[in-house]
Amino acid sequence: MAKRPGTRAEERACRLLRREGYQIVARNWRGRFGEIDIVAREGAIIVFVEVKARSGDGFGGPRAAVDAAKQRRIALTAAEFLQATGCELAARFDVVTFSGSGATLLRNAFWVG
Amino acid sequence: MFACLSSGAVLGIDACLIEVQCDLANGLPTFQIVGLPEKEVSESRERIRSAIKNSGFSFPAGRVTANLAPADVRKRGVGYDLPIALAILIASDQLSAVTERRLIVGELALNGEVRGVSGVLPLAHEAAEQGLKGLIVPSENGAEAALVRGVDTYPIDTLSDAASLLRGDLTIEPLRSDVGLRLSERSAQVTHDLAGIRGQTQAKRALEIAAAGGHNLLFCGPPGAGKSLLARCLPELLPPLSLEEALDVTRIYSVAGLLERGVPLVSTRPFRAPHHTISYAGMVGGGHGVPGPGEISLSHHGVLFLDELPEFDRRVLETLRQPLEDRSILLSRAGVSVRYPASFTLVAAMNPCPCGYLGDSAHPCTCSIRDLHHYRRRLSGPFLDRMDLFVDVPRLPVDDLFGSHRAERSVAVRERVAAARRIQWERMRGSTGRFSNAELTPEGIRTHCRLSGEARTLLKRAVTRFGLSARGHGRVLRVARTIADLEGEAQIEPKHVAEALGYRRQPAGRAE
Repeated sequence: MAKRPGTRAEERACRLLRREGYQIVARNWRGRFGEIDIVAREGAIIVFVEVKARSGDGFGGPRAAVDAAKQRRIALTAAEFLQATGCELAARFDVVTFSGSGATLLRNAFWVG
Repeated sequence: MFACLSSGAVLGIDACLIEVQCDLANGLPTFQIVGLPEKEVSESRERIRSAIKNSGFSFPAGRVTANLAPADVRKRGVGYDLPIALAILIASDQLSAVTERRLIVGELALNGEVRGVSGVLPLAHEAAEQGLKGLIVPSENGAEAALVRGVDTYPIDTLSDAASLLRGDLTIEPLRSDVGLRLSERSAQVTHDLAGIRGQTQAKRALEIAAAGGHNLLFCGPPGAGKSLLARCLPELLPPLSLEEALDVTRIYSVAGLLERGVPLVSTRPFRAPHHTISYAGMVGGGHGVPGPGEISLSHHGVLFLDELPEFDRRVLETLRQPLEDRSILLSRAGVSVRYPASFTLVAAMNPCPCGYLGDSAHPCTCSIRDLHHYRRRLSGPFLDRMDLFVDVPRLPVDDLFGSHRAERSVAVRERVAAARRIQWERMRGSTGRFSNAELTPEGIRTHCRLSGEARTLLKRAVTRFGLSARGHGRVLRVARTIADLEGEAQIEPKHVAEALGYRRQPAGRAE
């Protein structure tokens, strides 16, 4: 399979998360509704990480790209992941962004509902 | 992973305890508030998240559920922010659990500051009644809550202060308030003095009777005669509020969120003068969810002044009929019904006709008969029947206007009124919630309004002659009782009945 665009960004994100003390559990986990870029653990919390990269800060920068529809898709996939793996931890959603000005880790980026 | 704290819901002027439960479960991050919350309670989620984060705590991951029990009572207002936030902190082990039961209430700002809420006084009452040990309230409401004895009040300013208080790291002296002192603070100064109004002796006498017995009064006269000025003098003729009355009034103002900051106890009698465009919900109470108090309840133990009476919406005036008799109003809405006290003295002012000059010696009246009929029709018979004193306020004769005669000061009248009121208090001791002759029940009239033989004959004649209704008869008796009280007489004499009957006369020029 050819290298997907954004894979480079995801690798950078994994390195960043490890530095922050996360353990990577899975990458590019596919469900019926979509895909989760990185699944990680931080202590007793399972963290679903979305990685976004944009070359510039135009259009609101990379944070603006994780909109309500995207959040819903990630949440549905996360629910599927929890069910499929039988994981019984508290969950959280983080977002890692790369833009012209550098990398940012947004903890607790959004909630469901 | 579970925590439970106490808070309270305000229903009318009463309150009930609400248990705030919080549970943390694993799963996708959600934050839900259940237990019949209104919109403003559901919205508190965003405030709580931010306040927790900005107070140096972290909002827990996973499923957060807050339940407000009992789940069948409608939850309104922003006072649940603080107890929910603290319950979340306890459930997530960021705060060690407390044993002592305390009622907690307060709105959170995004930065974790605690803001004042309305209705703290009824909540404090309920807490004391249910035997809770303490109250944690916004410091803005501290003095108000401290009016209630038997429960300790802890005022706090921020979420982190509240957390430290629960943890026991922070000791706050319970707030005390000296209620007696606050009541005696009333100044001897009078802002609207009767002495400032020239002439109008009859109207002033009627005002004195209304003040002494709490009777309803209707002024009728041409523009500029002084009707509004006279009405504004009434609150300061009334005796100061007793502690019991002051607490009653304060409860209503607390629920309405109208208490002034730093002045926790309403210590002066209310004077409410709503504009004639007022809606019926504004007058008797209403609003979405749990209905709030209206003008008639805000003038409880005080004066409700309706200037330009016929200009009011007829429907609004008719809604006053039942509270004028019952001295309270029951507001029933889907799923909730609340009773507010509404024992007020109604003072109304009107012109005799649309142009205002009917019966005036200097100005000819320009209204047609049709105009007159239309004007009069706006006031219904049943409504007018509830007025005790009809008083003409004629144009001031030129001699009175330029004369040097100084009228009696309000302070002197107030003393006579106070003496008459003291007699009434003595007489009505034991019948709860009733303080004046206007509030006498039919049984009260039978026991307290003893007539001399001659007075009875006179009243009997008047009833047949003027076709007084049973209610009208009772109202004449109450007014006569007050006039006798002003003179310090135990029995009602013919002259008292005669004067009382004199005030039953309908407005001048009413003969069609």
